[in-house]
Amino acid sequence: MMLGQYAGYIICAYAISAAVIIGLIAWTNLAYGARRRELAELERQGVQRRSRGQADG
Amino acid sequence: MTDTTARRNSIWDLANPTRFLGIAGPLIPWLAGATALAFATGLWLALLAPEDYQQGRSVLIMFVHVPSAWLSMFCYSVMTLSALGTLVWRHPLADVSVRAAMPIGAAFTLLALVTGSLWGKPMWGTWWVWDARLTSVLVLFIIYLGLMALARAIEDPVTSARSIAVVTLVGFINIPIIKFSVDWWNTLHQPASVSRFGRPAMDAAFLYPLFAMAIAFTLLFLTLHLMNMRNEILRRRIRSMRMNAAREAGGA
Repeated sequence: MMLGQYAGYIICAYAISAAVIIGLIAWTNLAYGARRRELAELERQGVQRRSRGQADG
Repeated sequence: MTDTTARRNSIWDLANPTRFLGIAGPLIPWLAGATALAFATGLWLALLAPEDYQQGRSVLIMFVHVPSAWLSMFCYSVMTLSALGTLVWRHPLADVSVRAAMPIGAAFTLLALVTGSLWGKPMWGTWWVWDARLTSVLVLFIIYLGLMALARAIEDPVTSARSIAVVTLVGFINIPIIKFSVDWWNTLHQPASVSRFGRPAMDAAFLYPLFAMAIAFTLLFLTLHLMNMRNEILRRRIRSMRMNAAREAGGA
């Protein structure tokens, strides 16, 4: 496919869009992994989600 | 208990964070799959689109610029509705929704500005002009950054949620300004060519790929928003567990 005289601008626009979108997805997934690990560690230590006496929800 | 109260309670139960996680978990992979499929279709249609008689192949930039600009405003509108949820109903998921949407909105507003600039240079002969549309979108980007800074600045969750909700509502004034800036002022940016009364001022050869990409971007937003909401709920759980641990350690 020929992009013509504007090829540089088009490639830049798509490359930056792809980088931002992939970056957002990666950042969200990495944050999820980190939170899951942190939660698992706290549960392993026996830390409760609610204070003693509060109903679990 | 009346029927209306019972119905309202069941909606509230559904929006309970634990139940939300139970619904979001299985839904996210399906949404992600639909997003990937929509992007594949949108990009395929974009590649098949003919050259524009004025813009040449640079019309391809429009297929990422217009959906980014649409999402920058759609995301802020979602945040505004959620902010109302925080202030009116004081629902915990409403603040989760506002916080989860902020970075996504900022990213797509930045994309709209950058891709617009990359289209503007060959078409207008300049990377940037201080016209009403471009300036109001830049203001939206600054509002997103300000809200993200505010979310990190206030420690107390209740004060933080209310402050963010109020600033979000005030900032919404910028959304109609962005939308109608091209009608109210004489701008270099062209007037609306898709969302306007009557037929869109665009040929179907460009309209279909544009719609397909807009659907793909919207699905991407919904997926990322759900994922970020899930992260935010987990962050709150971790915070409350750490506080409980500290309280119990202090009382022991």
